[in-house]
Amino acid sequence: MKVKVTGVCQGHARCAAIAPHLFKLDEDGYIRPEDIDVPPGDEALAQRGARACPERALSAVDDGAPAEERRAPRI
Amino acid sequence: MDVQRQDVVIPDHVPPELVRDFSFWTAPGMAPQPGGCPQAALSYVHYEMPRIFYAPVNTYDGYGTWVITRADDQRRVLQDAETFSNNRFLFKEALGEDLPMVPLEIDPPEHGKYRALLNPLLSPKRVAAMAQGARERAVGLIEGLKGRGSCEALTEFAFPYAVGIFLRFLGLPDNRLMEFVGWANAQFHGTPEERLVAMRTVMDFMKELVARRRSEPVDDFVSFLLAAEVDGRPLNDREILGIATLLFEAGLDTVAAALAFGLYHLATHPDDQAKLRAEPELIKTALEEFLRAYATTQLIRRAAKDVEFEGVQIKAGDFISCASMIANRDPREFPDPDRVDIQRDNNRHVAFAYGPHRCVGSHLARMELAIGFEEFLARIPPFRIKEGTAPTTYGGHVFGIENLVLAWD
Repeated sequence: MKVKVTGVCQGHARCAAIAPHLFKLDEDGYIRPEDIDVPPGDEALAQRGARACPERALSAVDDGAPAEERRAPRI
Repeated sequence: MDVQRQDVVIPDHVPPELVRDFSFWTAPGMAPQPGGCPQAALSYVHYEMPRIFYAPVNTYDGYGTWVITRADDQRRVLQDAETFSNNRFLFKEALGEDLPMVPLEIDPPEHGKYRALLNPLLSPKRVAAMAQGARERAVGLIEGLKGRGSCEALTEFAFPYAVGIFLRFLGLPDNRLMEFVGWANAQFHGTPEERLVAMRTVMDFMKELVARRRSEPVDDFVSFLLAAEVDGRPLNDREILGIATLLFEAGLDTVAAALAFGLYHLATHPDDQAKLRAEPELIKTALEEFLRAYATTQLIRRAAKDVEFEGVQIKAGDFISCASMIANRDPREFPDPDRVDIQRDNNRHVAFAYGPHRCVGSHLARMELAIGFEEFLARIPPFRIKEGTAPTTYGGHVFGIENLVLAWD
C-alpha cells in the first residue's frame, strides 16, 4: 500500500497525530509531497491517517497485491 | 444587533429567492441566553435554508454575506484563496489605517512568505516543547481552586490558563490579562463605538510595544519579528504591527472559549465526564468533538472576481461567510451531527479552517485543550453546573459563553 499526496497539505498534522511513524512532518509541520510506502501490517493505520486529513489531500491506494487479495471480505 | 449602515441594500445580482432573514445575531438561539447552545441552534440551516443563501446584514460591521452551509462547499471556498480572497481591510475600513492583518489578510502567493515565518514558531514540534509549561500552569491554577468546591471556569481557569500561555508566547505581561481579554471582547461584541475604541487601543498598544522592543529587544515574539526577514529584507513596521495585531486578536481568547464549552458539556453530560475520567486516553478524541460541536469562529472571505459557485452568481467584492459552527453540523459530512459523540471517528471538522489560512495556532490550541481537560478531570472531583446558576451563551461574530460556574463535592 502507498499513501499518495493528491492535494495540498496545509499542515493540520492530523495524519501524524494518528500514525507519526508513517506520516513524517517537516520542521514546519507539513508533509512532504511524495508517496509514502506503507509497511505490511500498517495498512489500517495508514488508511485512518489518510482519512483524517481535513483538506482531503491524502489517499491510501493499494499497489502490487493481486485484486482478489485486495478486496475486502464481504460480511 | 448593532448595524452601522442603516440602508440595507441587497445587490441586484442576488436573486430574491436566495435572500433569507438570517444573521449570527438575530437567528434563533443567537441572543445571549442562560444555558443555551448557539451552535445546535444553527443546525436548522441545513434543513430549512438553501445550500447557499444571502443574509443582508450578517457581519459585525453591518455587511451582507453569502452563507455557505455545507462543509464540502466551505472546503472548496477556503482552499481557493485566489478567488475567495481574505483581504477585508478590517483596520483600514474601521480606522483608516492601512494595516492588513498579516498573514491572514494577505493572499497567496505573498501569504506563503509570511506564513513561513510563523510556521516554525507554532509547529507541532515547537508546541510539544511548550507542553510542560502549560501543564504546570494548569496544575497550579486547578490546585489553587480545588479546595473551594466551586469556581467560575472562565475567569478562574480558562482565561488565566489559555490566555496566560498565549501572552507568554507573545511576550506580554500576565498581570494585564483581563484587560486584554476586555479589549478582545469589546471588538467582537461591543457597540460600533466600543469596537473602534478597542481596535484603536489594541493597535496603539502594539505600536508602543514594537517601538519598545526595537530599542530594547528581548526574547519574545515581537523581537523575533523585528529580527525576521522576507525577500531578504527586514519586515517593516506595518508588517510587524499587522502580524502582532492579528495573533493578538485571533489567538487571545479562542482557546479559553473552547475549553469552557467543553467543560460546559462535561458538566451537563455526566456520562461523558465519567467516561473521560475512566479513560483519559479518549480526551484527545473528545476534544476534537468539542471543537466540532461547539465551534466558535467564522471565516469571512471576499470574492476577488465574479464567479459562479454551485449555480450561484457571486460578484467581485461580495462577502462570503464560512461559519465553522454551520459546516460542523452538516449531516452530509458528520453522521447524526447534533449528537455530541466524544468517540466520533473521522472527525474532519472545520474549527481551524481549511486551506492556506488554516489556523497557525491549531497545534498550540490542541495541546492546551488536551492538557486543560486532562488536569481538570484528574484533579477536580465530578463537577456540575452550580445549583442556582446557568452559564450565558451567545452567538455573534464569535460565539461565546460566560458565567460558567462549576461545583463539586
